[in-house]
Amino acid sequence: MMSSCDPITVALVQNRLDHIAQHMGWVMTRTSRSPIFNQSHDFSCYLTNGEGLLISQADGIPIHTGGGGFAVRALLDAFFGRIAPDDVFLLNDPYVAGGNHLPDWVIARPVFAADRLVAFACNRAHQSDIGGGAAGTYNAKATEIFHEGIRLPPLRLIERGILREDLWQLLMINTRCPDLLDGDLRAMLGATQVGASELMKLVDEFGVEETRELFNQILDHGDRRMRAALGVLPDGTYVAEERYHTDCFEEVEIRFKVTLTKSGTDLHVDFTGTDPQIRGFKNSSLANTYSAVYAAVASFFDADMPRNEGTFRCLSINAPKGTVVNARSPAPVTMCTVFPAHEIMHMVWWALGQAMPDRALAGWGKNAFPVTAGTDARGSTWVMYNWGGASGAGATADRDGFNQIGPMVTLGGLSIPNAETYEQLYPIRVLRHELRVDGGGAGERRGGTGVLFDVEIETEAEYSFRGEGIGQPSGLGVRGGREGGAGFLSLTAADGSVYEPFPYGVERLGARRLSIQAPGGGGYGDPLKRDPAAVLRDVRDGLVSPEAARSEYGIALANDSASVDVAATEALRRASEPERRIVSAA
Amino acid sequence: MDSLAFAKPESWRIGVDIGGTFTDLVLASSTGAIEVHKVPTVTHDPSQGALDAIAGAAASRGMSVGDLLGRCTLFVHGTTVATNTLLEGKGARVGLVTSKGFRDALEIRRGIRENPWDHRTPYRPVLVPRYLRLPAAGRLDRQGKEIDPLDLSEVEAAIGAFREEGVQAVAICLFNSYLSGTHEAAAAERIKELAPDLMLSVSHAIAPVMGEYERTTTSVLNAYVSPVTLSYVRSLNNALTGNGLKSPFVLIQSNGGAVSVTELGDTAVTLLLSGPAAGVGALNYYREAIGSGNLISIEIGGTSCDVIIMNEGEVAAVDLLDIGGYKCVTPSVDLHTIGAGGGTIARVDSAGFLQVGPEGAGARPGPACFGHGGTEPTITDAQVVLGRLKPGPYANGALVIDKVLAEKAIGEKVAKPLGLTVEQAAAGIIQMMEQKLLHAVQRVSTERGHNPERFTLIAGGGAGPLHAASVGRALDCAQVYIPKLSGAFCAMGMLNANIRHDYMRVLWGRLNEVTSAFLEEHFNVLEARAVELLTREGFAPDKTALRRAFDLRYLGQQWDVTIEVGKAFDPELVRRAFEKDYERLFGHTQPDGVIEITKIRLIALGLIAPLPSARADAVTAPGAPAETRPVWVDQESGWRDVPIYRGSSLGAGQVIVGPAIIDEQTTTVMIGCGDRLTVDPSGNYRVSMGQ
Repeated sequence: MMSSCDPITVALVQNRLDHIAQHMGWVMTRTSRSPIFNQSHDFSCYLTNGEGLLISQADGIPIHTGGGGFAVRALLDAFFGRIAPDDVFLLNDPYVAGGNHLPDWVIARPVFAADRLVAFACNRAHQSDIGGGAAGTYNAKATEIFHEGIRLPPLRLIERGILREDLWQLLMINTRCPDLLDGDLRAMLGATQVGASELMKLVDEFGVEETRELFNQILDHGDRRMRAALGVLPDGTYVAEERYHTDCFEEVEIRFKVTLTKSGTDLHVDFTGTDPQIRGFKNSSLANTYSAVYAAVASFFDADMPRNEGTFRCLSINAPKGTVVNARSPAPVTMCTVFPAHEIMHMVWWALGQAMPDRALAGWGKNAFPVTAGTDARGSTWVMYNWGGASGAGATADRDGFNQIGPMVTLGGLSIPNAETYEQLYPIRVLRHELRVDGGGAGERRGGTGVLFDVEIETEAEYSFRGEGIGQPSGLGVRGGREGGAGFLSLTAADGSVYEPFPYGVERLGARRLSIQAPGGGGYGDPLKRDPAAVLRDVRDGLVSPEAARSEYGIALANDSASVDVAATEALRRASEPERRIVSAA
Repeated sequence: MDSLAFAKPESWRIGVDIGGTFTDLVLASSTGAIEVHKVPTVTHDPSQGALDAIAGAAASRGMSVGDLLGRCTLFVHGTTVATNTLLEGKGARVGLVTSKGFRDALEIRRGIRENPWDHRTPYRPVLVPRYLRLPAAGRLDRQGKEIDPLDLSEVEAAIGAFREEGVQAVAICLFNSYLSGTHEAAAAERIKELAPDLMLSVSHAIAPVMGEYERTTTSVLNAYVSPVTLSYVRSLNNALTGNGLKSPFVLIQSNGGAVSVTELGDTAVTLLLSGPAAGVGALNYYREAIGSGNLISIEIGGTSCDVIIMNEGEVAAVDLLDIGGYKCVTPSVDLHTIGAGGGTIARVDSAGFLQVGPEGAGARPGPACFGHGGTEPTITDAQVVLGRLKPGPYANGALVIDKVLAEKAIGEKVAKPLGLTVEQAAAGIIQMMEQKLLHAVQRVSTERGHNPERFTLIAGGGAGPLHAASVGRALDCAQVYIPKLSGAFCAMGMLNANIRHDYMRVLWGRLNEVTSAFLEEHFNVLEARAVELLTREGFAPDKTALRRAFDLRYLGQQWDVTIEVGKAFDPELVRRAFEKDYERLFGHTQPDGVIEITKIRLIALGLIAPLPSARADAVTAPGAPAETRPVWVDQESGWRDVPIYRGSSLGAGQVIVGPAIIDEQTTTVMIGCGDRLTVDPSGNYRVSMGQ
């Protein structure tokens, strides 16, 4: 007989914890009411140990990675010594409760064995509506968190098995969609119940002490995996920057800066040099900033890297208080899980890419499309995310960028709906959903092209603009790769007049044709090194123009663009090289 | 067609399933005898493997191939040719005619990434390059009415371009054409006039579903795999009929039913699960002997494990398949596959954790112990180290297991890095494999709203019976059932499949508003097509069954539940059936919710007489173990001297208490401590679990 902490048992228990977290996710998907959950999977189920350290988050979206521990530790602070079996907790606030932003509510259910608190089973999920200044949780006009919805400190939602009805009613009168919220909260409670009872079985099998030790070993394994991955990077300091071009109200440049210091198997992530917090809702909470860093680091390495709190033990993060990556109350923060999560992930990727160029990741285009809402003939409200206008992804050493993909903070975990489906759901006609020409950043690997998305919106509607990717290229290239094309948005009225709105804001407009040029992703590597056959294919496919093939890739085409003129191409590429050297030296 | 039940003198059905390593042939005789022949698969020419198996079966009966095929009343085949054509990228050169503005749906793929964390892996190659995805102007609105006429001159121009590029098959998918096929039909008509030699795949006929991406990829996949697949199927049919087979053979489709070779038409896309989908026929066959319609099968072969749930005698269907990253809409058995089979590889990660799969060693080199040059330790290697599989020749010497090679692979790649003995490492590998199987079954049952405790777990595949008792115990299953012929599970199931054709049509209406006459009109159209086809296939009306179903949802939702309905339309009955399933799947209902119909479906069956259960002779003297050898039983019991039985020595009624191993012709059965195995009247093994 081996001891229960032998390597086989620890691995089996880790798989089992991951299975429990996924099991909670299947239950949530199956029993929740809102399409946010059962269609878009905007939630994460996770487990922590008794101290609130994340031990498994096998279910869920990348931008929730690792942030869940903050919530549990906040409730432990608030209720320490007063947590009883059959209590269940609820929270959301980014300033006092370890939340990331207000729409993501966390249900945390403690697991006791022999009067010892051994674990929590938790579910963090984006609610359909939580009150605040705009339906659907995103209020682009918010200047204080009070405009963004109801704030929940750590609350005891269920007290020794009894649901607090008065509190439940308080929640229900603070939403525009009480039926959805009621059903979804019950689904969250059900999912955590399943997780807690599966954890109880585990504790019954191994005993309290053994279980705690197994959890520690699992955290230690995560630690060893990440240190093994980090260990091969050269020691040094790596700096990357990012930018906003608005504060949601006016054009102003907001600077982000990260300095990565890698030493041995430790990595320090310092945001010093990042600008102060801003007026609009693109500030980040601390939990979200940590999550974005975790997601970026984990996704930089292997896909099967564990993602528990042990994995990130080697990281230390300094996010100065009062900056846009760690705002002071009462700054609004609802947009943070997208922006600046996208900027933070970019910077961490780019800094790590300097240390490990073969794994460098080009930038993903920031989204440019608005959310459109209106009222149908029966008087019900419809809310349409124009996902058909989503952006292209950046290239890597091994592949071109995805031409169109879900938001970077989900790493493509959200899928693009069919235009045919949207025509059945909303009063629209989709005219075009096609790849862009020359939208992808040139490179040895080309960036994703982005798309042209044209849609007739047939009735009056409210447009909530959050066009971070508009106007300036956002998918930057790496290792000599070029930036992807900038985003562009316009609205055309029946009389032919064209309107280009400010990238952020809320406006009500009559029937319009919405046209989006979705930003492209960045290229990887020197375009002059791209395989001529790949450039030829791109030209034949209409994704790269013959002019760009010549000017960006140094490819001369013959026979009406049907083949590569090898001799002319060699000459062109030879002639371009010295010029490139001068450019890169500058 | 098949008249097995009445045939005199002796006649038989033959099923042939071509897997990655072995080609299985099962012959079920009208006398009740069942024979299995296993031969190595001929990868470059799969039909050769089939013909080898037939020759082997004929030889063992001492008759000619002509006699064997001449008295075969039903020849059923499951083929992986369509799937391999797709996965190996060896399909036809395809051109796509699409609507202006939507030529890129195929390449955008709705941005779906199965595992977002794996963002460095490229998509599979797009099957039609953009320069062969050519748009034509023309537009149908959201009711299917024409807004702009189809520009046929652009269709003609596309054909010109396809000609220049050597295109062999053309897919047509136009926007909103699931609502009306008028534009697609007009385009198809023109292409037939101009280029009658090009194979055509038209979206509204192949996959009449909403969603331009799914319809496009399905019609393209069909165009891609059909030419190669149909040519294989036809040449095999010629070889068989040329050798005496009297009626065309039938093929298993992804929906678990069969279709005659002559009626398959140009729709080889329906064959992508041909093979594993035959598991449904096996479940239908064994449920009789088991006496329950609540079954979960785990069919474990060399590379994967397929899980199928049968609830109250019904196996659910799904429309969307993912074949190696390519999506395809075709009615299919709801089958969940994980990368866990005999050839699945175990390794140790950079921080000292054991991992099993999903990578496998494939048919070649296969497990290290096969001696084909494999050095990675696999599940099979672990079974050999643990004494559950005996070294030496298998399948008439088609392969020879070498224990030294198994020990070496596990020793170097797992035991040494973990600081364990080879035996401890092998035991860990098996524990991890069985945990994967357990989790897979739990996942499928949780997602479908079933509790495994109500189910009998059935072992299938060559490797299934080694794991079933252990997994069944962990699941708290009612019992475990291990067919004697587990190793030919799907070939067996093929002999018990009905002919089946699925039809569907998008049709919207509120359940409380649609009229019976309206529905009848639409069902009648589908039924007329079905009856015509089944008649051609030789089924008299009393040998057919037409089953109707609705896809339903609560208003405003975007996911459907399929509910079978009777011929007489009773909205109240439909509502109750919907709510019952909805409650099981989602845990709640909306008492005042408006229910919407989104699709009607017709399942048309040509009924084939069910295969009678095998009969085993009752035990006279209980079979004794042929030998006893040390075997690692489980974590608690460790190594024990375990009795090894020969399956052929056991008779109905005999009881064996575990631990024990039974060597069978096509598999090896393992039961654990305290498990109680009874040989049932059909000669199969029923196991009730010990603790």
